[in-house]
Amino acid sequence: MFMARDKVDKKYAVEYGEPVGIIAAQSVGEPGTQMILRSFHLAGIESTISTSGLPRIIELVDAKKKPSTPITYIYLDERIGKSFDRAQEVLKKVNEVRMSNIAKRVLENFSKGKIKVILDVQELQSENLTARQVASRIEKELGKVDATVEEGGIIINMHTKNLKDIRAASIKIMKALVSGVDGAGKATIRKDDRTGEFYLVSGGSNIEGVMAVDGVDKERTTTNDVFAIYRLFGIEAARNALGNELKRTLKEQKISVEDRHLFLIADAMTASGTIKGVGRHGLSGEKKSVFARAAYEETLKHLIHAAAYGEVDPMKGVTENILVGKQIPIGTGSVKLAIKKEDLAKIKPKDAKKE
Amino acid sequence: MIIMQTEVIDHIKFGILRSDDAKRLSVVKLTVPDTYNEDGYPIDGGLLDQRMGVIDPGLICKTCGARAKSCPGHFGRIELVRPVIHSEFSKIIYMILQSTCRVCHRLMLSDEHIAEYRSVLPKLEESVEGDLEPQGAESEKGFSGSAAMLKRLKNMKKCERCKASKGKFKFSAPTYFYVDDYKLKPDEIRDLLSKISNEDLAVLGIDGAVSRPEWVILSVLLVPPVNVRPSITLESGERSEDDLTHKLVDIMRINLRLDQNLNAGAPQIIIDDLWELLQYHVTTYFNNETASIPPARHRSGRALKTLAQRLKGKEGRFRYNLSGKRVNYSARTVISVDPNIDLDEVGVPIDIASKLTVPFYVTLWNLEKAKELLARTEYPMVINVISKDGKRKRVIDTNREELLKGLQVGDILERQLMDGDITLFNRQPSLHRVSIMSHKAKVLVGKTFRMNYCVTAPYNADFDGDEMNLHVPQSLESQSEARNLMSPQFQIFSPRDGDVIISNNEDGITGMYLLTKDDSYLTKEQAVYLLSIAGIYELPKASKGDLYKGRDVFSMLLPKDLDFDGVSGKAPFVIRKGRLVEGVVTKDTYGRGNNRLMVKIGKDFGYEELKRFIFTTAKVADAFVTLMGVTVGVREYTTSKRLEEERVKILEDTFRKINKLIDDYRNRKLEPLIGYTLRQSLERMIIAELNIVRDKAGETLLKYETEENAAVEMTRSGSRGSTLNIEQMTMFLGQQATLSGGRIKRGYYTNRVLPHIVPGDIAPGARGFVATCYYSGLAPKDLFMHAVGSRSSEVYKALLTARSGYLYRRLSNALQDFYVTDDYSVRDTNNNMIETVYGGDIINPVYTQFEKMDKES
Repeated sequence: MFMARDKVDKKYAVEYGEPVGIIAAQSVGEPGTQMILRSFHLAGIESTISTSGLPRIIELVDAKKKPSTPITYIYLDERIGKSFDRAQEVLKKVNEVRMSNIAKRVLENFSKGKIKVILDVQELQSENLTARQVASRIEKELGKVDATVEEGGIIINMHTKNLKDIRAASIKIMKALVSGVDGAGKATIRKDDRTGEFYLVSGGSNIEGVMAVDGVDKERTTTNDVFAIYRLFGIEAARNALGNELKRTLKEQKISVEDRHLFLIADAMTASGTIKGVGRHGLSGEKKSVFARAAYEETLKHLIHAAAYGEVDPMKGVTENILVGKQIPIGTGSVKLAIKKEDLAKIKPKDAKKE
Repeated sequence: MIIMQTEVIDHIKFGILRSDDAKRLSVVKLTVPDTYNEDGYPIDGGLLDQRMGVIDPGLICKTCGARAKSCPGHFGRIELVRPVIHSEFSKIIYMILQSTCRVCHRLMLSDEHIAEYRSVLPKLEESVEGDLEPQGAESEKGFSGSAAMLKRLKNMKKCERCKASKGKFKFSAPTYFYVDDYKLKPDEIRDLLSKISNEDLAVLGIDGAVSRPEWVILSVLLVPPVNVRPSITLESGERSEDDLTHKLVDIMRINLRLDQNLNAGAPQIIIDDLWELLQYHVTTYFNNETASIPPARHRSGRALKTLAQRLKGKEGRFRYNLSGKRVNYSARTVISVDPNIDLDEVGVPIDIASKLTVPFYVTLWNLEKAKELLARTEYPMVINVISKDGKRKRVIDTNREELLKGLQVGDILERQLMDGDITLFNRQPSLHRVSIMSHKAKVLVGKTFRMNYCVTAPYNADFDGDEMNLHVPQSLESQSEARNLMSPQFQIFSPRDGDVIISNNEDGITGMYLLTKDDSYLTKEQAVYLLSIAGIYELPKASKGDLYKGRDVFSMLLPKDLDFDGVSGKAPFVIRKGRLVEGVVTKDTYGRGNNRLMVKIGKDFGYEELKRFIFTTAKVADAFVTLMGVTVGVREYTTSKRLEEERVKILEDTFRKINKLIDDYRNRKLEPLIGYTLRQSLERMIIAELNIVRDKAGETLLKYETEENAAVEMTRSGSRGSTLNIEQMTMFLGQQATLSGGRIKRGYYTNRVLPHIVPGDIAPGARGFVATCYYSGLAPKDLFMHAVGSRSSEVYKALLTARSGYLYRRLSNALQDFYVTDDYSVRDTNNNMIETVYGGDIINPVYTQFEKMDKES
């Protein structure tokens, strides 16, 4: 999608050399100070409890592998989304329940080679599970064991008295997935007030697993985990996700910033084909110029490395030219005089009196 | 005269200094580990040897014959009797030693394997977890010692070429290397390193031509010139040496002792001890924060600041002196308001104007004028004359005649700052580009910089004692750029979202609001007075007898032929043919949201007209406010009896609702919100209810307050204050929040916030809802609640300013090299493409609102 120069409406076009990177950085950096004073607002009914504001922006821009509060918005197929009951069915399939969520205690009886799991009946009910289901789940998880449902819990006969095996098994039991999608997190049903549609919100980011569930609308389901999107859909999708997340976060804080700035940041972070943070381990740390890196962070490391490897600083960027007192090569400084040094000598100043 | 840059730094190559080069570079070999002799004279061969330059203004450098001011300084050297390792390079030495064979001195990989790594440029792998990036430094040859190759080399047991065993290498920070538990001496390491070929080094990414690894084993230490480490004379007459000099003395002392012991044939153990001590001193000389060794300390116990510390960090050479430089031709003082100064002007105190100078380039065509200027003996006069050969002479009464005679084409006069000179005006923190704008100087009496209050917004300035900086651009190019790009009228629209940043505000809005209200009529005198302020000398048609309608007076300020449709509050705001037909001017009609009066004027009539509009309306509004008198006093915030009754009613209503919610919750009758537990649902419902009550109070307030209330009028016009402000003063404060955004809940372990509260109470009052107001005073309990909220937001503010400052630094550092090329793609200065089409539509963000308006029409 290259744009031919002459086909563009030039009235409002950017000019050559415009330092759009700096403008984008300032557009996000300057209101950062304003975000602070907004601690007064109170959460309304609809907003989800997730990282927001400046911490969220920092998290995104740092390219953290896992967001501190992953959230997946799971939309349902048209017909299912209309009915609460059917949405509930999907919820059951998605909602991640582990043994540790429903078990009160796990008792190991080493002399008999048995493990007793005491279940939390209330939790069990709220997750719509039966003790029988749980027991069979355990059998599947551990393999050669027998699990029987008894009063107040499940007895697991390990058929072995090896202490190590029993302890390992009991740890495995606590971690075992009872129902739902691995990594999907705790899911709840929400209702879109505008359309009356039901959808799910879950506190995990395994969209790959969630999308495999029947009844989930694969087109609309999305997450705030940029890396999850990158893994599943690739870099272009990640770029969009990153830009949209930045956009959403700023909008939430009622800060108006043009999309182009946010997507420029997203583009910069993804231009290499992978997601890179903006800090010293990302874009700034990989600059070509030794001086630019040294002036930013970890001064010594970069200088020593440059010396040891005989690096060359091409002196093309902004920082390094400021350091040596040269004009910076962007903006009005990007314009060069198209004349040869040799030809300059031929120029003779005209005698003013002749004019 | 042609000033032109013809020699340019094209690139800079880094490398390691060889001992031979160090010898050649230095002018003196230092032998005496001391500084001054008893007479206070620098010792020859000592650390302040005058051949390395001088620092006392009277003395002459023994190498170049120049005085302290012009002598650049010359290096000396210390010849170490035993070589030591430059500890900063230890990790690289370790890497090389591990990768090469001790027997055949080649890289341990066979040629085939090297070729393999060479050919397979690191490919992007599928997984995100793995390292997707080509690792290692890129050498000139375009091949880097890849991480995979280095890892393989590290784990190899045998050399692939000569099959010799590698032995067990161990590295212990900072400078100890062991092989099979034998400690390698620096000279042994040097021998090993020097036998590696440049070709093998190239495979590791090292350019052997400029940085042979054996060069990091030092036998000659270059001593920086004296002016790098000046000694200072204290008031008591005592001399105090620089930290570097101290460290160098240490090195020389041990070096001398080692030399003596070697010559005396001392036992090996003593030699080794001294050698190690020498190593320690050299290590700390380079970096006194080297891990795993104690820092060298000054007598007072303070850690010495050695070479690395000079470069590092915020106060280091790079960030303090190179990225940010101190400048001449600048001034700083307090700012204050002057509505008569135009937006693109700045009032400069005469004291400052007579110190700051602007270059006046003498040419054939202005020679006469230059002479005239030079002859002057008061205010706009010449301070310095810079002759053609670059010598600067100060003009004083005694040499003026002489300079006048010698004045010729090509000279530069430095004259005092005058009206109309372009200057740059700046307020820190410079968070965005409009924190520095160009203003034309206007020389005034007084001691402060004067500015129009309409340009305070971009600087985020106010006049409670703020100081600002003024710079005078010197070259013609920079002056031209300042004039044509940085002037406030070009910055009215923000590149952030295309919205207005420089606009009318405060009294300027109040005045316009009062002027354009429906019942606003002016006498002829008043109308003439107001219009004359704007420089308009004709009157609109009188409309009510001989009274003039306020709107008609306002219309005179509008550009002719302006047509505009907007909204003012909920009523329409209509301008036809430059005449305000309907509507009241408020902050919002001026330019915010969908009301783009400013955008319209800027787009159709240009920036100059827009600037004039802002300036004149502000001036007229000020005059009108002065004429009418607008006062905000306690009366504005006094609770009326009716309002008080209303307040009680509203609160009672809300509390009743909330009590019912709590009752329902206790009786388990509450219908939970989907996705939340019962308790969470209750909390959310209560918070929602408390939000509603605040809005309701605001509405009531506006309903009950009449136009006589100036505070409410200000809120309505949008010039200052919000309903929330008034509400908190006359009705109640509302819910106090904490960091988490929820209601206050912590305090005592008995589950209450204050001891006055019944444990477990979740009623509004018990969880930080303040039902009293500032005017009638806070109840004791409420005062504590308010303090919780205040402290919480104060802490939050402090934490997040630091965080957001760092975010900005990182962002600007990462994105600063990006610019738009002539095919409208965004590239960095190394020509890597970031975006194919800037923003997808190449539109300059400053014009986004213009573009939107075009689309709508």
